[in-house]
Amino acid sequence: MYFRLSIVFYIIILGCSSKKEQQPTQKNAPKIELLSKKNNFVAGDSITLLFKTEASNYNIKLQVKNAYGNTLLSPSKKENNQILFSLPKNYTRLAGPCRWKVLYNKEILLHGKLDIKTNTSKATYIESYFGPRSVTAGYNDYSMLTISPTDFYDNPLDDGTEVTVKYQFLENITELKITTQNFFSFYNVRSTLKSGRILVTSECNGTTSKELTTIVYPSNATNFSIQASSAHNYADGNQILTFTSDVIKDEFGNTVSNGTLVTFIIKNENNAHLYTIGTTLNGIVEAKTLHPDKASNWEVQAFVTGAAESNTIEYTFKSAIKDYPVTFSKGNRNIDIGPFESFMKQLVPDGILLKLDIYDKDGKFIETKKTTTKNGVCTIFLGEHFLPQGDYILKLEAAGISKEFKKNIHGN
Amino acid sequence: MKKKTNTLLILALIVGLAFHGSAIFFTLEYTYDALIHLFFADHYADSWFDPWEYRWYTGFTVQSYPPLVHQVIGILSYIGGLKFGMYTVALIAIVLFITGAYRYTLLMTGSRRIAGYGAVLAVFSSTFVETLHIFGQLPSVSALSILLHSMTEIYLWIKTGKTRYFITSVSMLAVTVTSHHVTPLFGMVFFIAPLIGMAVMDAAREKVNSYKELSFKIFWSTTLQHFWRIAKFGSTAIFLLVFCIFPYWYNSKRNPITQVAIPHGSRDNFLEITSSGLVFFVIPWGIFLFVLPYFFYRYFSKRYVFFGLSFTLLTILGTGGTTPVPLLMLGETAFNILTLDRFTLWATIMALPIFAEFAFRMVEGDLKTLVQEKFGGVYHRVLGGLIAGGMLFMVLFTMTLGYFRPSQPAKIKMLPIVNFLGADSHDSWRYLPLGFGDQMAWLSAQTNAMTVDGNYHSARRLPELTTRAIERIENSKFRGVEGIGSLQQFLTVPEKYNLKYIFSNDKFYDPILYYCGWQRLQQLENGIMVWEKLNVAPIPQIMPKQDVPTILKIMWGIIPLSTVLIAFFINIQMIWVRLLKSRKIEEHSFMKLELPYNKFPSKLLMFSHWWALLVLICLGYGIYLFYVKNVAQLSPNNVVESYYDALDFKEFSRAHSYIDPEDNIDIAQYMLEVSVTDGILSSYAKLDSLGIEIYDETKNSAKAKVATRWITPLENVFNNEYHELIKRKNKWYVKSSKVDNDIPPDQLFTANGTTFYNHGRRKITTQETYHEDVLKQPVLEILSAKLVQYKGQYSIIGELQNVDNTPADIVLKATLYNDNNKELANYNAKHQIKHKLMPKETTTFKINFEGIAWSSTKDTLPPTFDPDQFTPISFEEQPTKFNLQSAGNTANTDLYKHVALQDLKYTEQGFNGVLFNSGVQEVTIPQLIISYYDENEELLWVDHKFIKEGVRIQRKQFFNYKPLDLDSLVVINSSLKNCFVNGLPNEAISEKIFPNRKKDHGVKQTQPFKGKGYEYLKFEINSYIGNPK
Repeated sequence: MYFRLSIVFYIIILGCSSKKEQQPTQKNAPKIELLSKKNNFVAGDSITLLFKTEASNYNIKLQVKNAYGNTLLSPSKKENNQILFSLPKNYTRLAGPCRWKVLYNKEILLHGKLDIKTNTSKATYIESYFGPRSVTAGYNDYSMLTISPTDFYDNPLDDGTEVTVKYQFLENITELKITTQNFFSFYNVRSTLKSGRILVTSECNGTTSKELTTIVYPSNATNFSIQASSAHNYADGNQILTFTSDVIKDEFGNTVSNGTLVTFIIKNENNAHLYTIGTTLNGIVEAKTLHPDKASNWEVQAFVTGAAESNTIEYTFKSAIKDYPVTFSKGNRNIDIGPFESFMKQLVPDGILLKLDIYDKDGKFIETKKTTTKNGVCTIFLGEHFLPQGDYILKLEAAGISKEFKKNIHGN
Repeated sequence: MKKKTNTLLILALIVGLAFHGSAIFFTLEYTYDALIHLFFADHYADSWFDPWEYRWYTGFTVQSYPPLVHQVIGILSYIGGLKFGMYTVALIAIVLFITGAYRYTLLMTGSRRIAGYGAVLAVFSSTFVETLHIFGQLPSVSALSILLHSMTEIYLWIKTGKTRYFITSVSMLAVTVTSHHVTPLFGMVFFIAPLIGMAVMDAAREKVNSYKELSFKIFWSTTLQHFWRIAKFGSTAIFLLVFCIFPYWYNSKRNPITQVAIPHGSRDNFLEITSSGLVFFVIPWGIFLFVLPYFFYRYFSKRYVFFGLSFTLLTILGTGGTTPVPLLMLGETAFNILTLDRFTLWATIMALPIFAEFAFRMVEGDLKTLVQEKFGGVYHRVLGGLIAGGMLFMVLFTMTLGYFRPSQPAKIKMLPIVNFLGADSHDSWRYLPLGFGDQMAWLSAQTNAMTVDGNYHSARRLPELTTRAIERIENSKFRGVEGIGSLQQFLTVPEKYNLKYIFSNDKFYDPILYYCGWQRLQQLENGIMVWEKLNVAPIPQIMPKQDVPTILKIMWGIIPLSTVLIAFFINIQMIWVRLLKSRKIEEHSFMKLELPYNKFPSKLLMFSHWWALLVLICLGYGIYLFYVKNVAQLSPNNVVESYYDALDFKEFSRAHSYIDPEDNIDIAQYMLEVSVTDGILSSYAKLDSLGIEIYDETKNSAKAKVATRWITPLENVFNNEYHELIKRKNKWYVKSSKVDNDIPPDQLFTANGTTFYNHGRRKITTQETYHEDVLKQPVLEILSAKLVQYKGQYSIIGELQNVDNTPADIVLKATLYNDNNKELANYNAKHQIKHKLMPKETTTFKINFEGIAWSSTKDTLPPTFDPDQFTPISFEEQPTKFNLQSAGNTANTDLYKHVALQDLKYTEQGFNGVLFNSGVQEVTIPQLIISYYDENEELLWVDHKFIKEGVRIQRKQFFNYKPLDLDSLVVINSSLKNCFVNGLPNEAISEKIFPNRKKDHGVKQTQPFKGKGYEYLKFEINSYIGNPK
C-alpha cells in the first residue's frame, strides 16, 4: 500500500517538477536485527519473531518453511522501528525444524531456524493397527500390532517412548513394554495352538488405544472317520442315504472351522467314481445322496482335499425289484409294464425309469422310448402312425433288469 | 379487402395443442429418443460450457450433436426441472410445426383457405404423430418446423431481393442448423433447392402470359438474373451450416465415427420384414398412399417441377432396402449411417400442401363437383368419410402402437437406484443397467455416477462397442450372439472399466452374471436387482478427457441460443403484425398465383381409383399372407411353429391348445407340469431360430424333427427335439411328451448348514472404511497352472484351492508373454471356474484369450462374434510364458454345494450321468466342469457343459456328456513360478499353509477313463440358483 502510494507520490512530483528528476538510485539493503532470542519451542506454543529495523523498511516479509509447507508473512506489528511477525497455528503446531528467512525485494536479509519439539505434556493419542485380522492356529502365523503414539497435535512422539502392549487369549492376559523406533513401535502377536480370539490393546503415557482383535482359526484337518445310514438298504432309487463324520479336528485338537468342504467319493461296482459334498458344522459333516435303482456295492471315502481323509466304508444295496411282468395287447402295440413290486411286495414309489429300445427284425436300431412308473406301472403305446406293421425286437430295461421280446406288431 | 383471421389455422392450433399437448405426457417418455435429449439437456444444465460428458462411454463430447434443443431444455430446467423443459420444448415444436405447415402450404398454393386445410391436416398427419410420439425426435421436428417457416422468407428473398427477407431467412436457417444438423444439410438439397427453382419459375412466369409460353430459354435467362441472389443466399447458408455448429464439424473430423453399422429397421426390405414396413413406410405415408397419383400429377406440373423431382427422390430413398436404388444412390457408407425413415418423413411433409389442396378440392372444390356428377352425392360423402376415417384411424393406430406393442420396458422408478448410487460412495464405480431400454438415459440424467454404456452410439469410443453392431449393452439380448458376446466381455473383465454394479431389470441376464463371478447384492424397492463384483478398484480421481480450445467451447455455448434470440427479434415484428392484423400489409407475390381449381381432370380421378384399388389389393394380400402364416393348425409345420412360439413367449394355455386332445392332459395339469420345470431353456432363453423338418408324413400323422437355436445368456443352445404330430378334425396337434413321475421320499426334511454374513462397514462414516472393518482376503493356493494349445487356441488351465477358513470369491487374471517377456494378451477367467469356494474347496479353471482383439484396438473382430466359437487368435509371436494373478475376497452368497453325482455310466453316446440335489435350494442351471488328466494325474484340459434342465430339490436330473478327443493338445508351459495369490507369490503360501499336502487326494477323486489323449476325468458341479430362498 505504502509502496503504491509512494509511486503515486513520485509521479505527482515528476509531473510538477520543471526540470528532469533524477532516477531513484538503487537503495542499499536495509539493516535488520533479530531481537527475539528464543529458538526452541514446544508444539502449540505461540511463536513470534521480533526484528529491529528502520521505519522505512516496513515492507519487509518473512518466509516460513517447515513440514507443513511454505508461506510468506507480513509483519503483524510495526512500531518504534520494530517489526513483529507471528507464525500461524498450522506452523507452530507441527514438530520439527522450522526455517525462516527475512526478505526484502527478493533479497534475503536474515535467516534462521527454530526447533519445535513434540508436546508430550498436553495429551497423548495412540494410532494403532492390527493385522491380519485372522491367523491360523499353530507355530508359524502371527498378527502384527503397530502403534504410533502422537501428541495433541498429531506429532509422533520421540523415538524411545515406552509403549505398553497387552493381549488376551482365553484366561491369559500378557503385558509387555516396548519402545518406539522411527516414530512407531510394533509387536508380533504369535498365533496360539488353540483356536479362538486374541484381543490386543496398547497404552502410552496413560492413554490407552481401542481394542483390536484377531481370530485364530483352526489349522488343517486331520484324518477322520465316517458312517453311512439310511432307512433301508434296498436299491429302490428313492430313499436318501446319509453320510456323517465324527468331529473333524486339526492337529491341535481344534474343531475345524464351520463350512469346511468335505467330498465323499463313492466308487460303485462298475468303478464309476460318484460323489456327494457336505460342509462341516461344529466339525461334523453330513452329505446325502440317493439310493441307486439296482443292486450295487458302494465304497465310500471322504476327503478334505490335500489335508485329510477318512476311513473307507462299504455300503451294499440289495435289489428291491426282483422282476416285473410285461403284457402286450392291441396287436402288440400296447405294452403294459408292471406292477413293479418292491422288497415287501409294495408298489414301488413313482418314478422308476423304464427304457424301451426298438429294433427291427434284423437288429437295426430304430428308436428309444423312455417313461417312468406311476402307481407302480407304466404303459407304452406304439401308434400305427409311427410304427408300421411288422416284426420288431423290443428291449426293455428297468431297475437293472433287462428283458427282450420279439413281437409282430399289427393292427391299429 | 379486409383480412380476416384464418379460422382453420386457429382451429388447427387449438386442436393440435389440445391433442398433441396432452398426449405427449403419455407418450414422450416411452419414445426412443426423447430421454436421450433429456440426458444431453441435463449435461448443459450442469456444465454449460464444458462439452465433455463423463457419464457415458467412459466419456464423450456433447459436441457430437447440435445443441440448441438440449440447451433450451437445459435452461428451462432451472424453472421446473428437466421434464418441464422437455414438455415445454415439445409444445413449442407442435406450435411451430402447425404454423410452419400453414405457411408452407400458403407459399405453395397461394390460398389462405387451402393453407388452413394444410394446418388442420398437419395436426393429424400420421408421420408427425409417429416422429413425435413414437420416435420422440424433438430436434428433428423443431428443425423441420423452422425450415418450413424459413421457406417463405427464402422465396421472397429470391423473388424480391429485399434485404429484409434475406435477413429473416438467414436468421431462421441459423436456428435450424443449431437444432439439427441433418435437417438443413438434406433440407438444402430436398427443400430449398426446389424452392429456389420454383421462385425463379414464378419470376419467369411473370414475364410471359401463360405457363405454355414459358420456355426453358426464358427460365434460364431468369435464373441468370437471379443468380446473385441465389449465390448470396447459398453461400450464406453454407457459411451458417459450418459456422453455427463449427465445433460439431471439428469434432467429427477429430473423432470420425468408427462405429460399425448398426442395423436399423428403415434399411430393411419392407416386404420381407413387415414390421419395419409398417413402422417406416405404411405409418408415415398412411392415407397419403391412396393419393400418390395426385401428388405426382401436381408436383410434375411446370411450377412445381423441381419439387416433383425432389419428392420422387425422397419417396424412393424412403423405401430403404426394399429396392436397390437407395443403396446405389447413397453408396454403402451413407446408406449404413443414415436412418432412411427421415426421407419418408420429408416426403410426407413435402406432400402436405398438395394433400391440403386435394382435401380442399374434395370438400368444396371441383373434385367434389366431378365426383358428384360422375358417381352421385352419396358416393362423394362415403368417399370423403372413408378418407377422413382412414386418416383418423392411422392417427389412433400410430398413437396407440406403443400401448399395444410396447417398445420399452415398463416405467422404472429411478429414485431407489439414484439413492443407491448416491449412498456409501457407490458412485465411485461405474454401473451398468440391464433391460432398461431407453430409460437408461433418464437414469443417467439423474445421477452423477458413470456407466460404460450409453445411448448415443455415434459418440462411442470404446472399441468393445464400436466394433459391435449393437445399440446398447443394456439390451444386448436383442442383438443375439453378438450382443451377448459383447456383454460377456464387459462382465468378464469389469475392472478394466471400474464396473462394479449392475442394475438388472431383466432376469434373462442373471445366469451370465452369476457364471462370470458376479453376486446379488440386494433387490431395490422398485424390483431392480443389484449385482456387484468384488475386487474392482474405484474410478481414479483423474480421468482422461479430450479437451477442445476455449473458443470452441464459447461458440458452442453462446451461438445456438443467440440464433434463437436474433431470429426472434428479427421476426417478432412480422409475427406481431401478421397475428394481430394491426396494420395492413402488402400481399406477398405468391398469393397471386392461387389457382382457380375449376376443372379436376377426370382421367386422373379414374386413375386414382384404379391406384387405390391396387393399394387395397396389396394391403389385402399382405393381410392374407399374415393370416395363412399364422393359422396355427393348418399344417404340421404351422402347428410346430406355433407351439414353439407359444412356449417362447410363455403363453402356456395357447401351447396347451396345440396338444393332442386325446392325450387327455387337462390345462391345469399341463400348467403344473410346465411350471415345475426350470432351467436355462424354460427360464432364460430366447428362441432365435427354428428349423422344422417334417418326415414320415401321412395324411393324418407326421413326425417332426425340430432343430432349435436358443439365445441364452450363456451360450447358444442347439437343441433337437422330436415330436409326433397328429391330425384330428382338420387340425394338426402335437402329441404330448411323457413327463417324469419321480417323487421324492420325504414330504418334509431338515438341513443344517453354515451361513455367512459380512457387515461391510460396521462404523457409519463418510470417510474410508475403517481399517478394522476391512476383512483379510482369503488365502488361495494355485495347485497347478499350464499354458496349453488346443485346436489352435491358447488357454491357461489349472486348479486352485481356497486354503483359508472363510468362503472365497475368486478373480483370476492371466497374462501371456513371449520369450522376450513381451506381453501378448490378458484376460480373466469367465465361466470355466467355480467363482465361489468354501473353505478347502478346489476348482479347476480355464482362461481363454478371446478378447485379444481388444488389446490392440486396431483389429476389428469379425462382424459375427460367437461367444462359443473362437476365431483362433493369430498371435504375432508365440506365447510361451504366463502370469497368473488370483485374488480372493470373502464371499457370503452363492455357496450352495448340495448337488451330488449320483450315477455315471459310459455308453456309446458318451457319459450318461445323474445329478441329485440333496439340499433345500432349487438349482436352475447346473454346470458341469470337466477336467482331463494324463497318466501322471497332470491336468490337461478343462471343459464345461451347461445342463439344460434344472435339478429340483431331492430330485434327479439326467445328463449326457461326450468326452473330447485331446490328441492334438500341446502343453506349452507348466509352471507355478509366476503365480500369485492376493499379490503374494503362490509358492510361499503353499509352504506356509499346506506344507504337508497329500498329493494323492487328486487321483483318488478322479474317474479313471481311457480316452484319446488322457487317462482320468473329473466332473465338478457349479450350480446357479435362480431364486435363492
